[in-house]
This record gives sequence, C-alpha cells and structure tokens, in this order.
Amino acid sequence: MIAFVGRRALQSIVVLAIVSFISFLIFQYIGDPVLTMAGQFATQAEQAQIREALGLDRPFYVQYAEFVGNALRGNLGVSYVARVPALGLILERLPASIELAVAAELLAVGLGVSLGSLAAAYPRSAFSKATLTGSLLGVSVPTFIVGIALILVFAVGLGWLPPFGRGEVVPVFGSWRTGFVTASGLQHLILPALTLGMFQLALLFRLTRGGVIEALQTDYVRTARAKGLGPVRVIVKHALRNVLIPVVTMIGLQFGQLIGFSLVTETIFQWPGAGNLLLQSIFESDFPVVASYIIIVALLVVGLNLLVDIAYAFLDPRIRYG
Amino acid sequence: MKPLAIAVPLIFALSALAAGGAVPSAAAADEKPIIVGVGAAPQSMDPQSADVDSNLSAMANMFEGLVQRDTAGTLKPALATSWERVDELTWRFHLRQGVKFHNGNDFTWQDVKFSFDRIKNPQVSPFSNIGALIASVAPVNGDPWVIDVKTTQPVPFFVQMLHQIFIMDQKSTEQRSPGEVGQTPIGTGPYKFVEWVKGSYLKMTANEHYWDKAPPVKNAEFRPIAEASTRLAAIASGEIDILQDVPVSLAKAIERNPQIEMISRPARRSIFLGLGNKPGTPTADLRVRKAMAMAIDEPEIIQKVMFGHASLCAQIPDPPTIGYSADIKRLPYDPAEAKKLLTEAGYGNGFDITLSGPNDRYVQDAQIEATVAAQLSRIGIRVKVDSKPKAVFFPEINQHKDNFYLIGWFDGSYDYGRTFRQLLHTVDEKAGFGATNGSGYSNPELDKMFAETEKIIDPEKRAAALAKLNEAAMAQLAVIPLHYQQDDYAVRKDHGIVFTPRSDTWIVFKDISRKSS
Repeated sequence: MIAFVGRRALQSIVVLAIVSFISFLIFQYIGDPVLTMAGQFATQAEQAQIREALGLDRPFYVQYAEFVGNALRGNLGVSYVARVPALGLILERLPASIELAVAAELLAVGLGVSLGSLAAAYPRSAFSKATLTGSLLGVSVPTFIVGIALILVFAVGLGWLPPFGRGEVVPVFGSWRTGFVTASGLQHLILPALTLGMFQLALLFRLTRGGVIEALQTDYVRTARAKGLGPVRVIVKHALRNVLIPVVTMIGLQFGQLIGFSLVTETIFQWPGAGNLLLQSIFESDFPVVASYIIIVALLVVGLNLLVDIAYAFLDPRIRYG
Repeated sequence: MKPLAIAVPLIFALSALAAGGAVPSAAAADEKPIIVGVGAAPQSMDPQSADVDSNLSAMANMFEGLVQRDTAGTLKPALATSWERVDELTWRFHLRQGVKFHNGNDFTWQDVKFSFDRIKNPQVSPFSNIGALIASVAPVNGDPWVIDVKTTQPVPFFVQMLHQIFIMDQKSTEQRSPGEVGQTPIGTGPYKFVEWVKGSYLKMTANEHYWDKAPPVKNAEFRPIAEASTRLAAIASGEIDILQDVPVSLAKAIERNPQIEMISRPARRSIFLGLGNKPGTPTADLRVRKAMAMAIDEPEIIQKVMFGHASLCAQIPDPPTIGYSADIKRLPYDPAEAKKLLTEAGYGNGFDITLSGPNDRYVQDAQIEATVAAQLSRIGIRVKVDSKPKAVFFPEINQHKDNFYLIGWFDGSYDYGRTFRQLLHTVDEKAGFGATNGSGYSNPELDKMFAETEKIIDPEKRAAALAKLNEAAMAQLAVIPLHYQQDDYAVRKDHGIVFTPRSDTWIVFKDISRKSS
C-alpha cells in the first residue's frame, strides 16, 4: 500500500515538473511582461533596465531553475500587473471556482444519476427517449453555447435568474466568501453551475442509464424481483449499487476538471473565480499568475487522481496495489 | 463570433417581450447605485500601478492629479489651482489648500513629492518613464502651497501628462504594506472607496467633503464583464445602467432595442498604417506611398468592416490634441491614379510586402488588415498579411522590425510633440526617440522641425509649430491614416441617467447625474 502511494506520488511529481516546464517554455515565446511593466511610452533603455531588474535578461535555464527553486519554497512570483504575490491572487479567487465546481458536481450527480435510473426503469418510454437525445446534446454542444442559451432564456427572456456575477456573498473565514447561504448567491449559482455541469450531467446520465439497464437483466436482480421487491427498491438497492462504482470514479476524476476547465463558464457568466483571472492574465502576459494557476490546478487534478486510485482500490477488492 | 451573431438578436427580441416589467422606484432613486458595466476590470487599487485606461478610469473617481481633464479633454485645475512653465526645466504649481484625503489627512506638498518619487520605481509603476523626467519637487521661497517641479530635460508637455499621475497620501501609503495599498485606496477624489471584490465589482460612495462640490450620484459601482454577449444581456435585462465598450458587430442589435439608447462619440484613437522608408525599398518613394494611400478605399472599410462605427482621419492626432491641424486633407480614393503613380515610380508590376498587425488590440484589427491587403492587390501590390496577438506584435514594434504595419494611437498627453517623438522621430535609443517607430521611419527634415518646437516655451507658438510639423509629416505620408475609432456606450433609457462620454473613455461618476423628475 505504501509502495503504491509512494510510486503514485512520484509519478505525480514528474507530471508537475513537466507541466511547469511546458508552461514556462510557452511564456518564453509569447508576450513580454516588460511592456506591461514599463508602460507604453518607455524607451528601449528603460525596458532593458526593467528586464534586468526582473532577471528576464538571463538565459532560459537559469530563469527556470530559479522559478522551480522558488516554487518549491511556495513562492510563485509577483504578478506583473497587480504587483502582489501571484499565489495569493489565485487563492483568493479559488473559493468561487470551487463553489461553482461543487454546485456543478452536485447538479450533475443528482440529476444525472436519478434521471438515468428513471430512464433505465422505463427504457421504452417517451421520457427515456427524450432524455437520451437531450444527453447527446449535453455531451456535444460546446459550453459557451449552453451558457449563452441559458442566459438568453432564463435571464433575458423569462427574467427568472440573473445573467451574470456571483450575487451576495458572506465571509466565512479569511478571504473565503460563500454564496451558498444567501438567496441571491444561490440564484446566481444556478445558471453557471448548470452550464459547467452540463457535460458531466449528460455523461453520468448515459453511464447510469446504460449500467442500470444492463444490471436489470442480471440474475441477482431477477432474484430480487422474484423475492417480490418493488421496482424502486430493486433499482436503488440492487442495480444502482453496482453501477455506482464507475460513477464514483468518474466524479472524482472530473471534479478536478470542473475546477480546471471552468474558464469558459466563468468568463461567460463573469464568475469571479480563478479561471476568469487566468484568461485576463493570459491576455496581459502576466506569467507568474498563469504559472501559479497551472501549477495549482495540476496539483488539484493530480491529487484527486491519487485519491481516486486509492479509493478505487478500497472499493473494488479485485484491484491490487501491484 | 458566429454564435454571438445568432444569440444577440435573440437576446433583444426576448428582452423586448419582457419589457414593461421594469417599474422604476422614484423614491429610492438616490439610494440605488449607478452601475457601469466595463469590459476590463481594474487589476489593483494602487492608482500608480497601471497605465491602462481600465485602471485609470476607476482610479479617477477616488484620486486626483495636480490637474484633471473635463469630458471634452480640456486641462482643468484639480489639486493645483494654477500652473505655469517658468523656464525650460521648471514648472510651477499653486496647490489647493484645505483638501483632505479620505482618511482625514491633510493634502500637502510632501504628498506631491512622495507621489512623484514613487512612480520613479519601475517595480511599482509603469509611469516610471514620467518619473525619470522629474528631477526635484520643492516649495518656492518656503511657501508650502507653491512648488517648483524641475525636469531632467525640457519636457514641453509635462503638465499635459499629470492628469494621470494620481496623488497619494504619503503617511498612510508608507505605513501600509504594498498589498494593502493595492487593496484599499485612499485619495482626495469625489468618491470614497467602499468595497472591491476582484472580478465582481468595485463600489464607491460620494465624498461629501469633496473640495469642488459633493457629486450628485451618491452610490457608484463598476462591474467588469469580459464576455461581449453577457455584457449585452446585462444591459438588456437592466442589471446595469451604462455599458461601456459596445462591440461594433453588436451595435445594430442595441440600436433596435427601445429601452436602450446608444451614445457615441469619435474616439481619440486613430488607426493608421506605419510604413518604413529605408533607402532602396519601394516605400522610400513618396509616389509609392501616395499610390498605396490612394488605393485604400477607407469609406468601404468604415462601412463594411467597422459597420459605420468609425470616421475618416487624415492625420494621427484627434481634434483636442495640441498640434492637430484642420488644414490636413486626406488623399482621395483613386485606384487609377494610384496605379499611374506606381508605374511612374517604376513599380508597374507591383511589389511584395508584408503587412503586420495585431489581431486582438483594436476594433476589427485583423479584418482591416485583410481588407487593406485585398485593396492594395487591386493595383498590383502583393501583400502578405501577418496578423498576430498583441503580445507578439508590440515587441516587434519596439524593435523596429516591421516595415509595414497597422497600429493605433491616441496620446494620453494630448500633445502631438510626444506623439511625434514616440512614433515618427528617427530612432535614437539614448535620447528616447522613436520608441514606437515600428519601421524605423526616418526623415531628418521632420526631426529638425521637431527639435525647433521643443525649444518654444510659449504654449500658443508651440502649438502652431507642432501643427506645422504635423502638416509636413502628412505631406510626406509618414503614415497612411485610416480612421478614428468610435466610442460606443449603451445607456438604459428608463433609468433616468444623464451621461456624457469623455474623450479619454474614463467613467468619472461626478460627470454623471440623474434626470430630476
């Protein structure tokens, strides 16, 4: 077990090293932070002076070594634009992203599994066919179209929900402010969470539906039915239980992605999360912020994967820590 | 782009259906904030940390410089009541007495000195190039309300830049950490800081003790909305009162919406083509330059590429700029004459040239570049278009690498002297000339005229000399002018707001009021 976790952790470190190297490399060729720092009227001499002050005139490998050295000590550099530590900028935006991802996940799991089971229970019903078609759309329609369509219908057309922003938030501790406990915060959460969770919702729906239909044809379900159990009990207690193992795995794996790839949703809904900041920072060549974001999200995804691997091994005794 | 084209008309069709639901509550009108949706958010509350308009716009509500500009762009007193240029290197300011910072500290000349010293550090401020020009700040004859600011070299337009150098409170700025200074602004301006949630909003409230008079709008709010279609949804659903940065491709949809009024004004920014003149290259020949200018059908670009949201320009500066000349006329669009000029110059079969330019900086920039290329090809000039992200393009400009490029300009100093020095002067790194001269364009005659203008202290004579310089530069087609952009704002009609857009595109809430009903 320890060897398994150790090896997995080692692999994760290699992944992080590669990710940091690639993100560093890209920014050697795209964008020049000196232009932002020096102002639009700076002379070449002034630019050179700033380049030197920032250490950007040194060879690539020296800069990268320094970057890694600092990163290991928790210092990811100072934003070229906001001129404060980049890590802090990301961390203060992360709560909004995590809340959105959690809400999206809850929606996706709640709706995906329940609708999937229902559709499996009545596979020939109109409901089942309609949701199956709908889920195909959910998997294939790009996020930005889903988002714009939702804004259009529910915010502009019907006026039920606000079109953008996070609404009223209350501080929990430190810089963490939550929108979960105010009516306005919850209202603002619905559309972006649905947009972000749409893909996963559709995927979970299809996974559950397929799994349950298959399970309903197995011997143990037939036995359960023969015992005289009702259809709800058969599905929830017997069929669904076995289907849930891959579903749980996928939830774990996809949660990191919901945080990492919330960029589009956050931009459309002007959700004040880390993805929104990332996009702005890319436009402004603010490398320390972009690098911090990539590394934090990579850490999250790698960490979650590790947890899922371990949990999976616990859940399914057939898997060995080989 | 495509999904927007579908979504936007729908947004407005639906919002028209939903109309009538909005009932303005007149009683609480003073309590409700006026909310402005902007495309880009301020990145810091440190008023000296950025020189981009999205930051300066927000900061101008809470801070003031020694001088300020009114909506038309005219220089007005602010923390200085008057000023004069004493000699080539000395500017004298009479400071306003009795002004207090929002924390209660008195405004003194030391705050001016502190603020001017602070921008010298490039780690702190992108205005370090202005800071580098400042040699000293000191009271005159011991009077703390009259100060002399000496520059390291003659800077005729020095005071013209000071509306964007905001004065900070020395005491509280020194006491607090840089992070705290960047989070909680303390200025002398008409609005006091309330709350800033990054990416969500910036809330401000009227400074009732403002030296001029307390602003009529009591509560003000900026909301950044990066995505264009969301910005439209925000104004269509009435969530915001004023929308800045209406994308030209979506303006039609706004004009059709009965609840929203479009307010436009010509932008300060002109768009033009930089063109090198290295000896031996085709573009060193004035006939070729003229041919290129005459082959470009700018009215067509304005109509089809800019959707009418632009106006013809004949020179780089805009009318409020010192050195603007109403006598400069555009060359007409005349492809036949252009072809003739080209043949005369010995390029009857055309030539190859690369047009560089950004694709994410100016309104429709990549589309303009493609259109220009197509139009030039009609007289036989084979143009390869090289559109790229601004983050790649501008470093090339600073290295003077591009022979033919599209760029835009508006001068924050409202001074053609600075424009010429940056854009058209022969590159001279030591003297700081031609930093943005992307092609290394060089015309010693013009440089000489420019040097003469630098020596003139009398503002009116200098303005006349700059206008002459501008005329001479355009006679040589130092650049090929295209158009002025247009600033478009959308304002909710039913919210009773009186809004006049500013020439500098800043949103300064003290300029805004509510209709008395």
